[in-house]
Parts: sequence; C-alpha cells; structure tokens
Amino acid sequence: MTDAAVSSPTEAPPPLPRPSLRERLARRPPGLGLLVGAGLLTCYLVVALSALLVFRTSLDQLPQNVAWVPPFNPIGPSWAHPFGIMPGFGTDLFNAIWQATPWDLGIVAGILGIDITLGFFLGATAGLNDGGVFDAVITFICDSLGAIPTFLLAIVVFAGLVAVAPSAVGLPLFVGVFGIILWPTMARTVRERARTIAHAPYVDAARASGASFPRILVRHVMPNSLGPVLAQVPLDIAPIFFVLSAFPWYYNCQLPGGPPTPPNSPPLHYLVPNLPFFSPLLSPSFPEWGYLLGFGTCDGFTTTGVFASWWMYLFPLLAILGLGLALGLLCDGIERWRHFDR
Amino acid sequence: MSTPAEPTPRRGPEAAASDRSVSNAGPPISRRRLSGFTRYALRRLLMIPVQLVFVLLILYLVIDVPAGLARSPPESLSAIDQGFAQLVLNIFTGNWGTTSYALGVTSIARPELSWVQVFTYYIPPSIQLALFALPIAAALAYPVSLLAGWSRRPGLDAPSRFVTLTAALLPTFVVGTLVLNALFNPFLSYFQDIPAQGLLPADFWFINRGGYPTWILYGFVTQPTGFPLIDAVIHQAWTVAAISFTKTLIQASVVAVAYVAIFFRHARSIARSVREEVYIVGARARGVAEGTLLWRHAARAVTPSFLLVFALTIPEYLGVQFAVEVAFTDQSGFGYLIFASLMAGDLSPIIPLVFLIAIVVLVWAFVVDLIALRLDPRGGALR
Repeated sequence: MTDAAVSSPTEAPPPLPRPSLRERLARRPPGLGLLVGAGLLTCYLVVALSALLVFRTSLDQLPQNVAWVPPFNPIGPSWAHPFGIMPGFGTDLFNAIWQATPWDLGIVAGILGIDITLGFFLGATAGLNDGGVFDAVITFICDSLGAIPTFLLAIVVFAGLVAVAPSAVGLPLFVGVFGIILWPTMARTVRERARTIAHAPYVDAARASGASFPRILVRHVMPNSLGPVLAQVPLDIAPIFFVLSAFPWYYNCQLPGGPPTPPNSPPLHYLVPNLPFFSPLLSPSFPEWGYLLGFGTCDGFTTTGVFASWWMYLFPLLAILGLGLALGLLCDGIERWRHFDR
Repeated sequence: MSTPAEPTPRRGPEAAASDRSVSNAGPPISRRRLSGFTRYALRRLLMIPVQLVFVLLILYLVIDVPAGLARSPPESLSAIDQGFAQLVLNIFTGNWGTTSYALGVTSIARPELSWVQVFTYYIPPSIQLALFALPIAAALAYPVSLLAGWSRRPGLDAPSRFVTLTAALLPTFVVGTLVLNALFNPFLSYFQDIPAQGLLPADFWFINRGGYPTWILYGFVTQPTGFPLIDAVIHQAWTVAAISFTKTLIQASVVAVAYVAIFFRHARSIARSVREEVYIVGARARGVAEGTLLWRHAARAVTPSFLLVFALTIPEYLGVQFAVEVAFTDQSGFGYLIFASLMAGDLSPIIPLVFLIAIVVLVWAFVVDLIALRLDPRGGALR
C-alpha cells in the first residue's frame, strides 16, 4: 500500500453533492395528505384569482337584488343559485362566497405571515438563548399575554385603536393587530422545541467549531423547529374566523330587539345585516366569509328549532372549513414528509 | 515522574451512615438553603403579580391611552381615564368602579352597583358550567389523545386528526346554535321549557307556574350560594334542579367537545413521543402486553405533559365557554357579560374582567405546573 493511498486521519472526506429536489422527492414521495392539501389550496387560489377578474369593478360590494331581501320566501339551492339566496343581503350566496375568496385569503395570509414571522423568529431565538435575558423577556411577554383569551385581546386592542383613529379602521389594521396578537402562542411552542435543539450534540459541535449565534439560529435551530409552526398554523385560523363571525352574529341576532335602527325609521320585519362598531369590514354589504357565516347563522334560525334555511350558514362554513383543512393537511403532510421515517 | 494518586480507601456502611447523620444535622435553619422545587415555586409565585401588572399595562395602553388621545372620548372610556399607577392601585384594591349595567339590562333605570358586586352575580353560574364541562372534557381528551398518539394504525390516527381539526375550526357559537336548535323541540316537549336562557328554567316557565320563587332574585340571581343547581337542591325545587342539571349538561357537552379539539392537537404529539421512549421500546421487546404498555406506562408518563397542555390552553377553554354561554343566551354568565359590554361599546368593565381572567389563568398555570413537576420523574432535578 502506498503512502498516497492512506489518507491522513485529519483530512475530511469531500462533501457529498446535495440531492436535487427531484431526487429528494423520489426518495421520499409526498403523502396523500400533502397532495390533497396542496391541491385544495391551489383550488382556493384559482377561485380567488378568478374572482379578482370577474368582480374587479365591485370587489368590495355585494350586489343586491331588492326582491330577495325579505326572507318571507327564502330561496334554497337550485341550478340557478347553487348555494341558494341570502335574504337580508339580497344576494346569491355562490357569488358572495366567490367574491369573498380573495379578501379572506388575503386576511388569512397576512395574519399568518405576521404570526409566523414574529413567532418563529422570536421563539427560536429565545430557545437558543435558553436562560438568557432575551429568553426571559420573551417568555415573560408570552406567558403574560397568554393569560388573555385571544379573541378578547384582539377586540380590545382593535376597539382602542378605533377610539384613536376611526379613519384608520379597516382590514390592513385588523390584519396587523391580529398577527401581532397571535405571535406569542406561536413563539411559546417554537421556544420549547428550540430549547431542546439548542442542547443537541450537533449544535454543541457547531458552537465548538466557532459558528456564530445567527448562523446556528438560521442553519440549525430554525429549520429543526419548524414542527411546532406546522402544528400551530391550522389552529391559528380558528380565532381569526371566530372574531370575524361571532360579533356580527351577536350584533344581528342576540342583542335584545335586534340590531339598532336609525331613529324614526319604520319598523323592520326582517333582519338587515349590520356590523358592530369595531368591525374591520368597510360596509354592511362587504363580502367576507365570517360575516356571511355570522349573519347566516342568525338568519338561518329565525324559527327556532327548524333547520329549514340550512344553506345560509352551511356554505360559508364549508368555505372556512375547507381552507382550514387544506392548510391542516398541507402542514401535517409537510411534517410527515420531513420525518418520513417516523 | 509523578507518583500515582493514592487510591481512596473503600469506606464501610458505618462511615456512610455517619456522613448522612452529619449532613442531616446540617447548618443552622437560618442558613439552610431552600430546595430547588421550593425555590422554583416561590419564583413562579412572585412572578404572578408582576405578570398581572404587565397585563394591566397592556390594557392601559390599548384602552386608557387611546381614550385619552381621542378628542372626544366616549363617556364609558372617560370613566377610566386615569394614570397607570392609579389604575394598578384601584384594580389591586378592588376599587373597580360602579355600573348601571347588569344582567343584560341597560335600558331599565337601576341603582348603581359596584363591578365587584356584579361579578359575584355572574361568576357562580359560569363556575357551575365549568365544573360540568372540565370533567367531561378530561374524560374525552385523555383517552382519545393517548390512543390516537399511541396507535400506529392510520385508521385511527388520521380520522381522529381530521375530526378534531374540523371541530377546532368550527366557530363555537355555530356548534352551540346547531345543538340548541336540534334539542329545542325535544327539550320543550319534555320539560315545557327551552334549552336556552341560562342555567335555570326560562322566564315563561316560571310565569306559567305562578311566578318566581323567592330564592330567585332579579336577573336570575339565586340565593343563598348563587349556584343555580345547588340553590334549587337546597330549596328542594326538584323540577328546577332537573332542568338546571340538564341545561348545564347540554352546554357543558358542547364546551367539552369544542375544547377537546383544541387540546388534542397538542396532546397527541406528546403521546406519540412517549411511544418512542427507550423504556417503552424495551418493555415491548420483552413481551409486555400492548394494553399494559399503554394504560400503565404511557398513560402515567403523559400525565404531567397533559396537565401542562391543559394549563397552557386555559385561555382557549375560557374563550370556548364564553362563546357557548352567548350561543345559549346565558344572560347570567360571565361570557355574556363580556360580549354584551363589548357590543354596547362599554369598555369600562373590560380591565377588571381581563384582570380576573388573568388571575385565574396564571394561578391555575402555577398550580398545574407544580403538580406536573411533582408527578414527573424528570422533575426530580429541580427538587
């Protein structure tokens, strides 16, 4: 054996080429859940894009047919109106849900974007800084804010902002406020995982080899802390649509005597959709799934105990559930794909 | 060349016992250090008031400061227009102000009541509901999460994940409204009452039977305890007690099912990680039955973590219960008070309300954390 054939023990072997995405997909084929979730989300995106084209002149206003407003003879699903008619709004529910799709996808994407960016980054940084000042501050903020139910904090913050600047009220403000309020939950779960990873042998090895804090954070801790983010994202949709639907429902349905009407106006014999004072929506005829669901749940049960007008709440509910399930399947699928050996 | 180190002589049991007796005598009490567990508990306990002050600061910044900044603040907001130090002092000393709003009635002229007095009316019915809902939720969540996380069969795990994610996404008031309407006619025909309007029979039920008994005050406040079911039993009003029990059970079931969906997502992954523990794998390799592994070993191992998940999800639980109270028009419930005051644009009770909720959540999290630490064998390092 020649000297050249014997490699020095200190010489590292050449790094293996990183497999391409196609090779990785061939080794670990994505599961059915991931494919279904991605397919569903693509459908939602296509519907949203088509709504942007079809309703481009009046995207923020539901068209109203005056003849359909009184709910004396509510029109159920038919070939002409596949999802039926929503009385009060006086609008075709299929078109209303279609028209609302880009708005709702925008709301969800905006809120989750802020939530994930802040929660993931701050949670992972706190976990890596385990026991340090930054970790203590983040943990304190998360634990304290975590003591307040999300929907209550969101509404209180939003109502306070309404008092300061009523003209600033709108969806961008709502998205910003809700995203900022949701991040502590995300950060708390990410921090727990990041703490475990911060003490893993490969992180110790990276630290010993001189890797900086940001490098360890970006290269090791954040990619391996993705699991809690994927578990939390589908759950964070629930409070968004709860706030968007529960308060319009309460305002239109549960207030004694129904929603307030202007003085000297004739008494109404049917429900007219209305918005509470802190609603982020621009007008009472704004297309939004949560608002449609809230009003539909109220208007669909004008006769208690009778499920006759089921379409008024079912289709907006299915639109919300479909989006949540698509995200849930996608996130679970990605998590399984990342850990296919488990 | 250095000489080898002198080997330490082996010491007999007598020497070890002598050491123990010396260490047991220890330093004087004033110098004795607290155990890790006690120090941890004290640190957590002392942190609670600090966290409460931080919660008040957040509320001050989002409610009080905007009210001051607004040119013409609403009347309800100007009532709490005060400095932060004064706010903290008032809240901690129970000086929460007065209101003419109580029990869902704003238009009727009523004497001013203190918020503390109003809360004492609202809290017992909500506690009654929680005392029903939490055991039902625990009875559902514990086995379902454990079984779904433990099972390797996709036939159990995948459907349970799908069902619970769907249930978590369903707005609770929709579920409550659907249940209320589904049970409306059977309930009416059996009790001649409706399943809504609080945890007592509805007003028309009493009117049809000659009016309210003397132990039910204005706004469905019952005496002497304030808990509708207990007061009905005390006064031997058995039909009222049966209706109160059934109404509470219905609402509690809705709360429990909605909460289990939230709990499951966190708890399942814990049960899943226990499945891969070395001692479980080892026990399985030795032929221990799967049922024994699951219900004797895994169930015990997940309990501390499940308790922690429960502590962390208490705010979500409260949100679920509040929404159910509103869906069932439970006008004597805490959730209804929050919704009604928010809708009326009256933010003045929100600070004390959130303060109360924060106390419940933080104290509960503290207690559960300590219980979990005591139960968890890995927590021994802290003791």
